[in-house]
Amino acid sequence: MNTPVTTEPAGNERLVVTRQARLTAKLTTHVQTVAVGGVLLVLLLVFAFSADQFLTVNNVLNLLRQIAPTMIVAVAMTFVITSGGIDLSVGSTVALSGSLLAIAIAAGWDPTLALVAVVLLGAAIGFVNGWFSAYHGIPAFIVTLAMLSIIRGTALRATEGYSTPIPRDTWVVTLGQGRLFGIPVPAILALVIAVAGWFVFAKTPFGRYVVGMGSNAESLRRSGVAVRKVGLSVFVLTSTAAAVAGVLVATRLASGSANAGVMFELEVITAVVLGGTSLFGGRGSIVGTVLGALVLGVIANGLVLLHVSPFYIQILQGAILLLAIFLNQKIFSRFATRT
Amino acid sequence: MSQRESTTDRIVMRDIRKRYGMVDALRGVTLRLGPGEVVGLVGDNAAGKSTLMKILAGAVVPDSGEILVDGAPATYTSPREAHELGIEMVYQDLALCDDIDVAGNLFLGREPRTAGGLMLDERAMHAQAREHLDALRIRIPLTDLPVRALSGGQRQAVAIARAVTFGPRVLIMDEPTAALAVSEVRTVLELIRTVARRGVSVILITHRLQDLFEVCDRLCVMYEGTLRADLDAHTTSLEALVEEIVGRGHAA
Ligand SMILES: Nc1ncnc2c1ncn2[C@@H]1O[C@H](COP(=O)(O)OP(=O)(O)OP(=O)(O)O)[C@@H](O)[C@H]1O
Ligand SMILES: [Mg+2]
Repeated sequence: MNTPVTTEPAGNERLVVTRQARLTAKLTTHVQTVAVGGVLLVLLLVFAFSADQFLTVNNVLNLLRQIAPTMIVAVAMTFVITSGGIDLSVGSTVALSGSLLAIAIAAGWDPTLALVAVVLLGAAIGFVNGWFSAYHGIPAFIVTLAMLSIIRGTALRATEGYSTPIPRDTWVVTLGQGRLFGIPVPAILALVIAVAGWFVFAKTPFGRYVVGMGSNAESLRRSGVAVRKVGLSVFVLTSTAAAVAGVLVATRLASGSANAGVMFELEVITAVVLGGTSLFGGRGSIVGTVLGALVLGVIANGLVLLHVSPFYIQILQGAILLLAIFLNQKIFSRFATRT
Repeated sequence: MSQRESTTDRIVMRDIRKRYGMVDALRGVTLRLGPGEVVGLVGDNAAGKSTLMKILAGAVVPDSGEILVDGAPATYTSPREAHELGIEMVYQDLALCDDIDVAGNLFLGREPRTAGGLMLDERAMHAQAREHLDALRIRIPLTDLPVRALSGGQRQAVAIARAVTFGPRVLIMDEPTAALAVSEVRTVLELIRTVARRGVSVILITHRLQDLFEVCDRLCVMYEGTLRADLDAHTTSLEALVEEIVGRGHAA
């Protein structure tokens, strides 16, 4: 299969490969990741000088603990959005998994079993999302919007609107509150998932097919790839990640609530888009997503330290999303289309 | 007359039908193809040429009809299964992933892997891509450029290279030269002759009729979802072919 077909004695017409051409190609594909890295740096400097407590070890660790759930789901969401889809149901899944974890433990379940069960439930939710959107061609936007409502309703029904405490002596509480070598467990988990996500996205055939799907799904199908399986898998990734995030949120607060994760999907999507992933699919960056999540975490944390009303944070987050999409489409895409 | 089947036929498509809603794209088409044979498939726009070939390539599933490969009935429903039988196609709409680089597009779905199949072997992919492109005399300096950065002709060349790279036994080319410069067209025609000499069966769809006479053994004319004529390319004149295509001398 791999003996090249030669047409006629080939004169060496190959153009010279210049270092510069390759460098330009590389740089332009990563221009937005570099940009968001710059934004992060500027924010760090601004808050370091304006808020005394910002650069304390405690505050930084606290910031990382708080942003971990967003980062974990945003890494998975990068796959969905790059494949040309979107998952709006992640916030509801955070609420459902946290609530059910607390309820199950309160009902006397073994905490480990309860943990495994809610994560599997997350995977099952992803299966439903993927089945409708990848196998039946219903737009992911509508499918996951419907699921947002169904799952949030289920969580509210299961808890009757009350939050359920998780006893502090169950081991799962360490997931949200514990530290390993002084670093919060959620931050370690987020780091591990981000590295794994980067590896799968950039180095494996699956990651390649996710990009191909967002780029030209029909081309991928004609190349013999099981496109629908890829399309379903990405939703299993986000929902599973959301279930894990729900566990982290609930165990950090030692309480499961059906009101957790409201507008969480917006925060996650903002982090992803901010990192340079195209909402139209085909272009994505895990490194960018991690940086995007950090930017959101730093802004939220820094503004609280500066005693800015938390209501502004929500306004700001929406504004950032809008601006990121705007820049993505108007400016950065221009770099990417022609090199 | 030349549609008479013989035991050595590589491909036989029998009574293929396909409807798209109200459009009868194919109304019972029968086509045969021998080893090493080059068949030109011509006809008006919307005659059904691309649909017929997508069916042969597994990208479209026919409503009815059967396909024999090397005399054995083949019931494939996906491009992957067609690939496994050695059937490759250059699509009219190219079907490249713009965001994936040149090497990635060449090997899409068949990437060289390392680490027990877990990882892409980028190094091998780029090295092999370079080798294949050079052998085909395709001038694309960087195999790690995303395909969207290429010119229309270069993109077409990548699509052709992709179909040829995996050693097909049947090569279908749906207007492969539409975006190519004169010298590149010559290269593609030369390529067709080369692979045909090695026993690859080729189906070429093109509206450049003069090209057909250079490389084809037979010329099949389609008209509104049917196969209207099957001509010997060596004895047919350009005028006769044009008459068949536009349909003079036939009751409509
Ligand atoms: N996916 C589809 N959905 C609906 N109709 C289709 C589809 N594919 C093809 N058709 C219809 O089938 C008919 C045959 O189309 P086809 O593409 O096979 O023609 P063609 O001979 O390749 O034409 P051209 O020379 O313009 O490429 C046309 O009427 C077309 O509109
Ligand atoms: Mg066509």
